[in-house]
Amino acid sequence: MHESAIAKSILEIVEQRLRSIGAAADAQSVEVLFGEFRNVDPESVAFAFDNMKALFQGCANCRLSISTIIAAALCKDNEHQYRPMANNAYRCPACASGIGKLLQGEELDVVNVTVELERMEKEKEQHARVG
Amino acid sequence: MHESADEHALERILGKNEEMAEHNRDHFRSLKACTFNLMSAPGAGKTSLLETTFQKAGSTFSSCVIEGDMVGDLDACRIRKTGVAVHQISTGRSCHLDAQMIARLLHAEPLEKTNAIFIENVGNLVCPAEFPLGEHRRIVLLCVTEGDDKPIKYPVIFRNCHLVLFTKCDLLEHVEFDINKATKNIQAINPDVKTMQISAKTGYGIDRWIAWLVSEMTDYREHLKTAKHVHHTAH
Repeated sequence: MHESAIAKSILEIVEQRLRSIGAAADAQSVEVLFGEFRNVDPESVAFAFDNMKALFQGCANCRLSISTIIAAALCKDNEHQYRPMANNAYRCPACASGIGKLLQGEELDVVNVTVELERMEKEKEQHARVG
Repeated sequence: MHESADEHALERILGKNEEMAEHNRDHFRSLKACTFNLMSAPGAGKTSLLETTFQKAGSTFSSCVIEGDMVGDLDACRIRKTGVAVHQISTGRSCHLDAQMIARLLHAEPLEKTNAIFIENVGNLVCPAEFPLGEHRRIVLLCVTEGDDKPIKYPVIFRNCHLVLFTKCDLLEHVEFDINKATKNIQAINPDVKTMQISAKTGYGIDRWIAWLVSEMTDYREHLKTAKHVHHTAH
């Protein structure tokens, strides 16, 4: 179950981004890309993420948005572009040769974190009043 | 007031593991030891292979082993009997070794000065593929009792390795395992990978395996010399 390690890594990245903005910020959502050619199950990551997020500063209400990137390859013999899939043993449908170069499908990235500024603004106002 | 701001910057989710793996690679480089990460399903014969390798290799090269297991030290005890030093990592709930675990070990227990470090990963064809450790070569063991379709079911681990060993080949006559089919399935995913047939029990193919290890260690030493030369020239 390395999906919990992946969920934890995503939350650590979100927490780090929040720290770089200001301690009082909250994360609204985080967008991630999972390539088809990675051993990552999106549902398991989402389940682990929701179970863990309250443990990370500013992440309790953070929503995880996962996009899957379809694999694309150039075949070894003729550089045909195709989608390598298990049901054709990852071979090119045109010439049956294997994967030469994998163009996409190995992504495992955080692409965007949306941060709520309301709490930051309220704290700034309070500080201003106290000051 | 309710506003939001988007923070755009692509960041690799396992970037920390990759950074730590680089740190480990530097550590292995300082030891001048070529490091091999052995991965397979449970029971494919990683420990048996190491036992036979150390017995057959004799003083051809010196080794130490990092043993990854969820619990217990059964494999470590077997390796110790060969006279080779073993360092145990108990992963607890985790089904794979990660670079942080290796880094902690490297800082807590100085490794012996050897030509080769073998990391025996936790038996699993899925998770270890996602966590590079700083090794120089990744080796997957596919036991002939597992089926020749396994590369199709677990493509990631077979794509990201340098060598596949078909293990327990003494059982080939008893099982429906087609070596040619398995090889083609692996090469469709990883066209440049090498494959070898071995049996730790009978010793079949072990000389060839040891020759491959020695060749990798020699190449690594040459690489270090060149890197050192470039480094000195640069200064």
